[in-house]
Amino acid sequence: MARQPKILLAKVGLDGHDRGVKVVAQWLRNAGMEVVYLGIHQASEAIVETAIQEDVDVVGLSSLAGGHLVYAQQVLTLLSERGAKHIPVVLGGTLPFEDIPRLEALGIRAIFPAGTPAAEFQEKIRELAAGREGRL
Amino acid sequence: MASNQSNGGDELLKAYFQKLERPSTWSGLPTKPVYSPADVSGLDYGRDLNDPGEFPYARGVHADMYRGRLWTRREVCGFGSARDTNQRLRFQIAQGVSGLSVINDNNGSLTIDADHPMAVAEGGVQGVSVSSLRDMEDLFAEIPIDKVSVAFDISGLDCIAWMAMYAAMAENRGVDLAALRGTVQNDTLHFQFCGYGNSCPVDLGLKSSVDIIEFCTRRMPRWYTGNANLYDMRENGLTAPQEVAFGLSLAIAYIQKALERGLDVDEVAPRRAFYCSCHIDLFEEVAKLRAARRMWARLMRDRFGAKDPRSLQFRFGVHTAGVSLYPQQPLNNAIRVAYEALAAVLAGAQSIHCCSYDEPIGLPTETSQTLALRTQQILAYETGAARVADPLGGSWYVESLTNQIEEKALQIMDEIEQRGGMVGAIESGWILNEIESAALRRQTEIETGEKVVVGANAFRTERETSTPGGIHEAPAGQGEALAAAVRELRRSRDNRRVAEALRDLHAQALSGERVNLVPSLIEAARSYATVGEMMGTVRIAYGQPYDPMGVLAAPRL
Repeated sequence: MARQPKILLAKVGLDGHDRGVKVVAQWLRNAGMEVVYLGIHQASEAIVETAIQEDVDVVGLSSLAGGHLVYAQQVLTLLSERGAKHIPVVLGGTLPFEDIPRLEALGIRAIFPAGTPAAEFQEKIRELAAGREGRL
Repeated sequence: MASNQSNGGDELLKAYFQKLERPSTWSGLPTKPVYSPADVSGLDYGRDLNDPGEFPYARGVHADMYRGRLWTRREVCGFGSARDTNQRLRFQIAQGVSGLSVINDNNGSLTIDADHPMAVAEGGVQGVSVSSLRDMEDLFAEIPIDKVSVAFDISGLDCIAWMAMYAAMAENRGVDLAALRGTVQNDTLHFQFCGYGNSCPVDLGLKSSVDIIEFCTRRMPRWYTGNANLYDMRENGLTAPQEVAFGLSLAIAYIQKALERGLDVDEVAPRRAFYCSCHIDLFEEVAKLRAARRMWARLMRDRFGAKDPRSLQFRFGVHTAGVSLYPQQPLNNAIRVAYEALAAVLAGAQSIHCCSYDEPIGLPTETSQTLALRTQQILAYETGAARVADPLGGSWYVESLTNQIEEKALQIMDEIEQRGGMVGAIESGWILNEIESAALRRQTEIETGEKVVVGANAFRTERETSTPGGIHEAPAGQGEALAAAVRELRRSRDNRRVAEALRDLHAQALSGERVNLVPSLIEAARSYATVGEMMGTVRIAYGQPYDPMGVLAAPRL
């Protein structure tokens, strides 16, 4: 059986809404994945540093306070600068549908607005993790 | 969803014979198919209900209810610069709101200024950016603050800074503080489990809350000195009985602290209020609020010996439940909000904020927010829902549900008491644990389809690509512009005066918990000291880091 994906979950910036991401963390753990949850008020630098140190398969950002575009850009740029562009980044939370193509254009690999069924994001995370493994 | 052509109409047959699948309420309380007098046989009208305006106020706090005054129609507002929000507030006034409600951005909640290194990406994003009295002046420019009731939808150490800035602005305008009407949420404790705890430690938070209560009691008699924020807790997935129990326990904590400060219960309690959720389960929400009224009246009389009838009255504002709204098929949210607001009116709310249908998508637009206001106005003027006090009173079902919620909530309150009251239960982590379990339970119910959410886990359609009515977009460079404005303020103000005011504030803050900091904060605000400077100064006096984010060093005082 393939190794279970390892995912880093974090809230970037000053957004305090953390109940959703904690539920997501629990569900991913229940699904057998290894989850590192960094908590609230994380700087993009800390997220990227941890992603590299922990050698995660996927980074998941939670944003419910409107900062998604700015922070997605920061995290992706930093990953690229640190030579870790291969780690896929996904994002979930409260955001306008209009921003989904913008986030995709930045390089966010999957976007999960509130209300996305768990099966859907679990499958996508497994797919991204598997893709990463394949490349290595 | 499968079409009926591909399955020979089986889906149609299934839909035709569909029956009610979940007989329990949103909170999981069991219900029967029908209720009769036998279900409320123990109910004594005079003791348990009584007329509206009479103890225990189960049926409402005023005898004439909305014939005396309708609820305050507010719509929470805050984005961009103070000037941006001011324009929207004035637009709201032109559209017929009867009160204002202002919310600040994440920087404001954490009491850091717009030019803080971590603030730029957040400036004006989730609420309005207010870093100093200058912003406060812009926020209320051309708004008659002696006439309008203003709610500050804020809860941390920002509350005391905002009260000081608002008071300084009023005095500068020549408005008597006693004329100011409004509410500050001032529920610092609830920040411990709503994501901003590090900026607002329990002890300092309580001290600042009581300073506000004491100052307003003496100087701003028309101001509500605090709302226990039941809403934010409920949003996390708590049940209706938990919402009531946690909320009343929060309120007790503030009242106890105010009594320790030397205030009398009948000075404090008449200016307290509650900020409640109205969730999607109509009858449960009405029952919840009726139960809360009865419980509060008995609690204040029996435990605190309150005598003033206003001390016994559970006055509440309602925020319709943001968490019940979904980004999928966003217009459905307008319908949800209308039912939730109907529950608030049937329950006798004193003030209502209706969410906009784009709440789970972003900040409201002028269009979506106006629809939310129109929802309130249609309720107030067209539906007749406001005509008669407590129209559901006497319904065997609603009375029975009210009893059930009260009974459960009383049990939870006992448990909280045994854990050292709300402060003890927060500090031991019990409250956070209850909230997190509730969040997981609620999400799992939706995930498994046990609770149906139309458009999200049932009757789904293709993912939307745009939002009806458009979206709120912050202009590029907003955070930078806000930061630049604060830097400019720091250059142009009389910095000697600022330093003097902050030194005085620091000295006051060092001279004991009972020394009320509002007067020194008003002086500091008047000198255009920033929120970050003012609250940083208070924080260091209380042994906390100057900067809650741990980035800025404390300047030399």
